[in-house]
Amino acid sequence: MKTPTATGTITSGPAPAEPLVPGPGRRPAGRRTPRGIRRHLPYSPWLFAAPGLLVVGAFSLYPFLSTLVNAFTDRRTLVPGEFVGLANFRELLDDEMFWIGLRNSSLYVLGVVPALVILPLLLAMLVQRHIPGITFFRSAFYTPVVASIVVVGLIWVWMLDDRGLVNSVLEAVGVGRVGFLSDQWLLLLSAMGVTVWKGLGYYMIIYLAALANVPRELHEAAAVDGAGPMRRFFTVTVPAVRSTMVLVGALSSVAAFKVFSEVYLMAGPSGGPAGEDTTLVMLVQRVGTGLSGRVGYASAISVVVFVVTVALMLLVLRADRKEDA
Amino acid sequence: MRINRRAVAAAAVIAVVLPLSACGGSEAGSADASGKVEGEITFQTWNLQANFKDYFNGLIADFEKQHPGTDVKWVDRPAEGYADKISADAAGGTLPDVVNVSPDLVAPLAKAGLALDLDKAAPQYKKEYLLGAWDAHRVPGAEGTYAFPWYLNTGPLFYNKRLLRDAGLDPEKPPTTYGEVFDAGLKMARQSKGKVAALANVPTIEDFGRYGVPLMNEEGTAFSFNDPKGVELLTRYKELYDAKALDPQALTATPESSGHKFLTESVAMNPGSALDLANFKKQAPSLYENIGITDQITSTGKANMYVMGVMVNAQSKRKPAAVAFAHFVTDATRQMEFAKKVAIFPSTAGSLDDPYFTEEDGTDETRVRVAAAKSLKTAVNYTPVLFSEQMKTELRNAVARALQGKQSPAEALDNAVRACDRLLRQS
Repeated sequence: MKTPTATGTITSGPAPAEPLVPGPGRRPAGRRTPRGIRRHLPYSPWLFAAPGLLVVGAFSLYPFLSTLVNAFTDRRTLVPGEFVGLANFRELLDDEMFWIGLRNSSLYVLGVVPALVILPLLLAMLVQRHIPGITFFRSAFYTPVVASIVVVGLIWVWMLDDRGLVNSVLEAVGVGRVGFLSDQWLLLLSAMGVTVWKGLGYYMIIYLAALANVPRELHEAAAVDGAGPMRRFFTVTVPAVRSTMVLVGALSSVAAFKVFSEVYLMAGPSGGPAGEDTTLVMLVQRVGTGLSGRVGYASAISVVVFVVTVALMLLVLRADRKEDA
Repeated sequence: MRINRRAVAAAAVIAVVLPLSACGGSEAGSADASGKVEGEITFQTWNLQANFKDYFNGLIADFEKQHPGTDVKWVDRPAEGYADKISADAAGGTLPDVVNVSPDLVAPLAKAGLALDLDKAAPQYKKEYLLGAWDAHRVPGAEGTYAFPWYLNTGPLFYNKRLLRDAGLDPEKPPTTYGEVFDAGLKMARQSKGKVAALANVPTIEDFGRYGVPLMNEEGTAFSFNDPKGVELLTRYKELYDAKALDPQALTATPESSGHKFLTESVAMNPGSALDLANFKKQAPSLYENIGITDQITSTGKANMYVMGVMVNAQSKRKPAAVAFAHFVTDATRQMEFAKKVAIFPSTAGSLDDPYFTEEDGTDETRVRVAAAKSLKTAVNYTPVLFSEQMKTELRNAVARALQGKQSPAEALDNAVRACDRLLRQS
């Protein structure tokens, strides 16, 4: 005689275990979901995501698509635009200032990214050690990160001024005054220095987290095998934090290509002597703002910045994948 | 999922169409401002709340008392990014009813049909103002005047007597012409072996104007500062730059940074206004002890003046109240009151003949005030109203290229005129 149970029959053996939370494809036979709930199930995730999607749509997607559309118009701040096809992009090719901006933004990436990948790692290794008072230095290195970029920029302008602290010291030791803020290349280099100085603490924290996950035994084993500090750095530390280095490289290259504040504050609104220190984002600001702003043309420059930024990200990630292979 | 694709497609279409929908034409409002003065209006000032809160609150209270049924909301915007704020408001249709503007801000707003033509809407007030001030808000290529003139400013050339004395120059005989400024600058640089500069800034459009360079053609359709006189001015500045008589950071200087250089006694001369004197006294007492004051340098016999205006939004729903309030702010009584609170000058006819602007009491303040008021009677706003920020950058960069020797002064100015003309056509 078969005795029915809730999960099967005595003779047929134990029934397969049911998941505690049934998925849509594994609904228990015989248990019916109320009609209304079942009908709305596919929408539920969208409802939950709606607030977030609205914010992203309003503040990211809409401005992005708006910029994309404007790039093909001759729109100005107060004058409605008309579709002009690729005219803005053709104008870019003949615009000397665009090429200067592209050059400076690219140089910024080349100058800043290697420094921001390597220096914070070395700093993180330094402050990771258990030395009395090291907590103070950890905080000190992080201070520039939380300081306002405007304040930081102004302080450096005062220090690097022709009659500022740095030049006074250089003059006192017989080197003479250096035109940090009047020579186009020194100005760009000074701005890079400020970016690196301000970013060190931020990336140091990221590296500290990565270093904490490197097993101590690896270092000990390498040391037992006779590896010195340099060898251990290249064969243990670097491989262990390589993915973090890629992350830092990607983040810092995007930020460096889009640099604005440091150069604007140090080189002035005109972008240094004869505008030779203008970066692409500064050009967007200069061309696209104000009552006579050329929104269409500035949008075309923004599209170029976007394309280059995405290309930079892909380049870094591709380099990482090649290493993995 | 079909539904997802539809949603994404709809979102994309909306996102693309919405920005295009903003490309609609903006309709110029009617110039008729007749009717009852009533209703709520918004009044926007340019960085005035911090120091003049009581003055404006009193002014607004007086207006509301004179015109029952009106309600003036006062908003003040910081100096930094003021033009951008107006741009955003104008583009978004939220421009206040009454706006504090300068002539270069009025021009694009008038072209976009957002500034009320006062020659049509309020011609009866024209006679109350100095003619030059009333005309300051005319826009070439458009009929009409687009803002009430408000306060004016001009100022002398300040110089550091100690630095002039150290360079072997007589501090009691300061330069009075451009030629003398250049000669004094070269001598100072020679004497100090390039350590003391005469000036901290490169020439701007108003310098070209003061030097007697024709800035635009008569129709206001093209720039002309590449005239031989303009080339001559730039050539003289290059001599200064080569001799280190210009501050090393002059190529990137702003009016603020130049003022700072003068304050710290790094440069010997700086143009300024009556407002600066109190600043020197407070922030740089050692400079104040050595301050020398002489007339603004000009080759035309006419000093440069800065004009502030009060514009009425042509799309305001309360035009009668907006026009009445803009006139109230800028009438002779209110301007005199304001001028006695801060070192500015009224633009109303006859106000500059008030003893306050004609009689000295032996102090530097009154000396500067009386001299400035006298020069304002013939002063000119040299900066063309169509000269936008982008054009200023083009000129500045061209000047820098000439001073660095990358281009000849003539070539640099030709390029700057070409670039400014292109921007003018696109505006």
